[in-house]
Amino acid sequence: MVGEDIGERLAGHWGTDRLHIEPFPGTAGKVRFDPALVLDVLRVMRDELQFAHLAMVAGIDWEKHREVLYALWSDERKQYILLSADIPAEAAHIESASSIYPSANWHEREAWELVGITFDHHPDLRHLLTPDGYKFHPLLRSFKLHEPETLEVKRRDV
Amino acid sequence: MSEMWINMGPQHPMTHGLWNLRVKIDGEIVVDVDAEMGYLHRGIEKISEDRHYNEVITLMDRCCYVAGMAWEHLYILAAEEALHVTVPERALYIRVMSEEFQRVASHLMWYAAFVQDIGLLTPFLYGMRDRDLILDLFQSYTGGRMTYEYMRVGGVRNDMPPGFTDRARKLCTWLIDRFKEYDTLCLASTIFHKRCDNIGVLKAAACRKHGVTGPMLRSAGVKADIRKDRPYAAYDRVEFDVPVQQDADVTARYLIRMEEMRQSIRIIRQTLDWLDAHPGPVIAPQLPRWLGAPYAPIGNEGYLLKRNYPHGLGFSAIEEPHGEALAYLVNDGGEHPYRVKFKSPVFANISAVREYVVGYHVADIPPIMGSVDICVGEVDR
Repeated sequence: MVGEDIGERLAGHWGTDRLHIEPFPGTAGKVRFDPALVLDVLRVMRDELQFAHLAMVAGIDWEKHREVLYALWSDERKQYILLSADIPAEAAHIESASSIYPSANWHEREAWELVGITFDHHPDLRHLLTPDGYKFHPLLRSFKLHEPETLEVKRRDV
Repeated sequence: MSEMWINMGPQHPMTHGLWNLRVKIDGEIVVDVDAEMGYLHRGIEKISEDRHYNEVITLMDRCCYVAGMAWEHLYILAAEEALHVTVPERALYIRVMSEEFQRVASHLMWYAAFVQDIGLLTPFLYGMRDRDLILDLFQSYTGGRMTYEYMRVGGVRNDMPPGFTDRARKLCTWLIDRFKEYDTLCLASTIFHKRCDNIGVLKAAACRKHGVTGPMLRSAGVKADIRKDRPYAAYDRVEFDVPVQQDADVTARYLIRMEEMRQSIRIIRQTLDWLDAHPGPVIAPQLPRWLGAPYAPIGNEGYLLKRNYPHGLGFSAIEEPHGEALAYLVNDGGEHPYRVKFKSPVFANISAVREYVVGYHVADIPPIMGSVDICVGEVDR
């Protein structure tokens, strides 16, 4: 079930060529948008469409491109909505959502280290789950299990 | 010179797991905090990409080791949506019952650990004793006490053994009586109130802003519960209330969890009545062969057959004992999930730690973090 007013409101702002909404079972729909619009779309979601809670930010590696997925929740509508932006793998950059939803902070740190998506203007882009200086992005498809990673361990002279 | 950083963790008893809370203090007052996670990162999402759909269930038990059933349920809901599998109704009720028993067990574990943090030792023993009775019950129908591997894509592994519902009802009666004891032990204690009242306050607007969910959000007056707002499994067919408190402090979170356990028992009793009256299959009869029969040994040749199955995406949300848990699963037609993403409620609750710890005393940190109910397994995954 697509929330119809959501589709109309979004189309009113940006038309349908840079953004479109498709049905997604169990949610108000899945909005696919141009990554350059991310801050504007999220601001409209929060201020005009009552999605006050950013529940999740996920990165998905599709090899040729990467997808950034946001899940928002609205207390008024009792619905989730998914937002998704495709970014090229060779320049995996997107604006950080932390300025609009502070809860994005840790989710973006995780997506940065595990899926290799850089969030521009993130307030605190440090390693969260992997050690500092860890140079792999384990959730990329090119990171194969069964092939032991080689870590360079520097000897510390005492 | 007066300010300095100290480490609370990774081995501090307050952590209830393995993580490090770096605390900047000025005398006794907390000025700034910084949480360091990752000590328990096992790469569950990555390992899932290399496993068959039913094999991931094993990992979900390890994801949160005090709420295994809830995490199995979360994954199964996403997987069934992505794989277009329908589930017999009896399995839905069994899942609801299992999740609610798990919620009580998880809250009892929290109760035991939390009250021990603030210096009351008797409730610790009481909580652990009663949790063990629930684990015994789990053992009687799943074979496992903490890691069950019980749910399957398309249903659950096996039906209840004979006499199960009577034993479960007896346990419900026992637990309801014990909850009164717990309240007497804590709420009548001056020490409890001196250590818990008016600390760790996080108001509703800040909760939503920082993604905090679950008992912490409900203790701030927001009546948000995914079981009610977006019912899954059989939650739209059982009656229960969502407890709400207004104070948003540690005591309020205690009261919320206590009332939640009572409501869980109420749900369990309804599901037990339903299960008695409606025998039937507990797993979908015609699953695709590569998903395996319920008792098929994992890795049999049925799995190796070439699949010709539609692609799909699965999105599921459940009210886990700690709060809102989400899963997103991509099925690209292969034998394994292409990508699984889990969102843990504790992950979001800890990420807001600066908002509810700064400004209080160092000695307030154990009760505050205890009231968050931390399970590091699901934060780090």
